[in-house]
Amino acid sequence: MEIIIDGKKAAVQEGETILQAARRNGIDIPTLCYSDALPGITSCRICMVEVKENGVTKRVASCAYPVHEGMEVTTDNETIRRTRNVLLNLYSARVPHNKDIKALKEKYDVPEIKRLQVNKGETHLAENCVLCGLCVKACEEMGTNAISTVFRGAEKKVGTPFDEPSDSCIGCGACASVCPTEAIQMTQENGVRTIWDKTFELIQCKECGKYFATAQEIAYVKQKIGNDMDMALCEKCKQKGNAAKFKEALKAELDI
Amino acid sequence: MDLSQVKQETLAIASSYKPERRFILAILQDVQRKYNYLPKESLVIVAEYVGVELTKVYSVATFYKALSLKPKGENIIKVCDGTACHVKGSMNLIQEVKDILGIEPGETSEDGKFSLETVGCVGACGLAPVVVINDEYHGNLTPASLREIINRYRGGENHGK
Repeated sequence: MEIIIDGKKAAVQEGETILQAARRNGIDIPTLCYSDALPGITSCRICMVEVKENGVTKRVASCAYPVHEGMEVTTDNETIRRTRNVLLNLYSARVPHNKDIKALKEKYDVPEIKRLQVNKGETHLAENCVLCGLCVKACEEMGTNAISTVFRGAEKKVGTPFDEPSDSCIGCGACASVCPTEAIQMTQENGVRTIWDKTFELIQCKECGKYFATAQEIAYVKQKIGNDMDMALCEKCKQKGNAAKFKEALKAELDI
Repeated sequence: MDLSQVKQETLAIASSYKPERRFILAILQDVQRKYNYLPKESLVIVAEYVGVELTKVYSVATFYKALSLKPKGENIIKVCDGTACHVKGSMNLIQEVKDILGIEPGETSEDGKFSLETVGCVGACGLAPVVVINDEYHGNLTPASLREIINRYRGGENHGK
């Protein structure tokens, strides 16, 4: 299938989104709430593009809109720039000191829009969360469901029930690692990880000694996949081990 | 309140619905009606009953203004702050209640007699500014007439209850 992105023909696959097609073809579209592993949240709207199909021109969220034969996509024109400028000004009003939003504003040369400037006072300055919901989705997909968006309107935030350490949290840190604005605090010190006001003891890799996972995380995964395999290796050492095994196997294969 | 009693009563309320996620709100509304707020233990029971994690129930419970996690007073004063009432000076009424009872919107007075809430339009714009106390409507109010009404409730008159 073929579509046109920014005037150029691009080969696309049925079922993929405009964003996936564009990125595969080397065209940059910014996102906040999008992750390849957790697509389809469509809350941040930073990825808006203009689509022309069947004679109709409209703005869509490229991270969710599927490609169709013959569609024309524009990722950068006056309309899209205006949309992006307003959005980034609004985000910036919410998280004035966040470096990721600042970087996006710089990258896309976003002008300050005066009517969207607010001064909410000192307490507000530490805020980094843009409420995109990616962390909640990550926690859901892990199957742990420790955090949700709670309250609404101006008080809306991401949190655990009653702002207390959650029984369901396994300290995996998936929420912090997907967060596009580094809003979730996770500290790691002397083999202890603290996240969402809960502390976890970390397990050391038996090869390299690196603290790599919480005990709860490993127990959870074991229970989920239903076997008792050895999980005391960090990601790197596991890869090393697998590579060595693969090498052996390949050698044996070639010797025959 | 006895803990195990709350648990039992909540379970009894929940049991009138199928244990499905879509009934979370309906169950919470019934629990709210019974206790005038949602006890923490109730949320835990509801989560167990419908088979979701507590965080999902908590998310619903905090989203709706009709649901409260804090115990409410005997009389609930809802000051309408919809467009019409706002224009007609609802902020003066809110200030008046604050002055009389010393509570902010969302709070309950120390004697447990009154809770103050602001709501966005109660559908009686012709009577603006409107205050609803225990589902009884009071329209065309001034701070002085509101003070009189609140004093009546203070005297033990529980209209609409």
